[in-house]
Amino acid sequence: MRALLRAIDLYRRLIRVQIQSQLVYRASFLFDLLAVCLGHVGEFGTLALVLQQFEGIGGWALVEVALLYGIVSTAFGVMDLFFGGFDPGGFGQLVRRGSFDQLLLRPVSITVQVLGSKFWLRRLGRISQGAVILAIALAHVRWTVVKALYLPVVFVSVVLFFGALFIMGATVTFWTIESIEAVNILTYGGSEMMSYPMHIYSQGLRRFFTYIVPAIFVPYYPALFILDKPDPLGMPSFAVLLSPVVGVGMMAIALAFWRFGIRYYASTGT
Amino acid sequence: MRLFWKLARQSFRLQLTYRAANLAGLATNFFFGLLRAAVLVALYDTRPSVAGISLRAVITYTGLSQATIACLSFFRWTLVMDSVYSGEIAADLLKPTDYFFSWLARDLGRAAASFLMRAATIMVAYAIFFDITVPQNVWQWLLLALSLLLSVMVSFGWRFLVNLAAFWTPDARGIQRFAFGMSWFLSGFLMPLRFFPEWFIQLCKLTPFPSMVNTTIEVYLGVLTGPELARALLTQMVWIVILYLLSKLVLRAGVRRLVIQGG
Repeated sequence: MRALLRAIDLYRRLIRVQIQSQLVYRASFLFDLLAVCLGHVGEFGTLALVLQQFEGIGGWALVEVALLYGIVSTAFGVMDLFFGGFDPGGFGQLVRRGSFDQLLLRPVSITVQVLGSKFWLRRLGRISQGAVILAIALAHVRWTVVKALYLPVVFVSVVLFFGALFIMGATVTFWTIESIEAVNILTYGGSEMMSYPMHIYSQGLRRFFTYIVPAIFVPYYPALFILDKPDPLGMPSFAVLLSPVVGVGMMAIALAFWRFGIRYYASTGT
Repeated sequence: MRLFWKLARQSFRLQLTYRAANLAGLATNFFFGLLRAAVLVALYDTRPSVAGISLRAVITYTGLSQATIACLSFFRWTLVMDSVYSGEIAADLLKPTDYFFSWLARDLGRAAASFLMRAATIMVAYAIFFDITVPQNVWQWLLLALSLLLSVMVSFGWRFLVNLAAFWTPDARGIQRFAFGMSWFLSGFLMPLRFFPEWFIQLCKLTPFPSMVNTTIEVYLGVLTGPELARALLTQMVWIVILYLLSKLVLRAGVRRLVIQGG
């Protein structure tokens, strides 16, 4: 218990220092935030314009796609804010330069140190953009109590799912030293892919993201449920409920892999 | 001119040495291409053709748009900015060569290497996996080559100009991210410009961005013909001149402000 409190206290301190340092150049920070936000707004804006010209995609109207997009974009932003330290690109650099050894030498939890090492406030740009889109989409949903209770669960599951991918990608760099691009395909590619109704993809791609990386259960099936849409893929009806199972499960596997990685970590010697 | 050629060749060779990184980038581009293709196929649904672009052509488009990323350094390019912050720019400015042109030479060398390893390769991969369209005759191939060269130069002009912001702020990366972000959705990189409402297309045409991506892709696909084609290529050239002159002006103002710390 005391160890846990100490870890939480340490985490808070790490985050506070970073927030302070990022706010030193206030104008630069605000511009950065605006840039990130506008970038994502533009991305969705162009998508929306095209979707409107084509009158939807795969039988989904623009506001329905917006629900999926909003959940994924906001959740990815939140994940990126909290799990930024595990971003495989940056983490690979830590390993390559040997700075990771310094962290290991300190007498506090390594996981907390990495978690608290990159807390980029500019991620709020993506989070706010996603939240606005999500809010617009949610205004069009026919609500029930169950839906309202399930939505936050789904949201947290998506965050955990992406966080798990980051942690696994970071762990892989213990062996590969370089960040491997396949991880980017899963994280950035995955988040883009999951923003569309996933039945539009080819069977091979869909199978991969159902049975190997079970991304399809995290936002897509719950979205079908929230939007009262029938399942075009004919999965058993409990597929809707798998979102938290996949989110928590992936995170558990990722953390186990991370511990395994640390135990077998041998420094690059630089 | 000889110096220009030499700088270009050097940077060409340098880029060729990043083999693993290029291969990895290729895999990512290919995956994103597949993704975009799936989305566009779903958008087309049962339509055989939209805005003069057939389904086959639009699948080719997803490959072409991914191919441009490496060629144009479309996501990130901070070399000039970095040299301002590190102070290396002092040495460059002392040399009796034109600052803009020496970077242009290096960028063209880099683009040529990226073209071979990334752009051409991804189109070959596309040709294996998809039924893609190719330019129909020698004339179209030549025009494509010209348009591609021009597009690299337009994109260079823009990237160079954005990098010059480093003279005024201690952290120009935010500005860079913003500027690059704009170029993604106004250039026809995310979706072919023809798919947008008319007002949006007109808005894009006020910017240099369509000259970076959309024009070259439309030349490849053969949807531009006659006077339209001539106008598109001419627009590219005009943007090169405008961006060059602007860069010159901004660079001169920037150098006057420049203070190099120590040595």
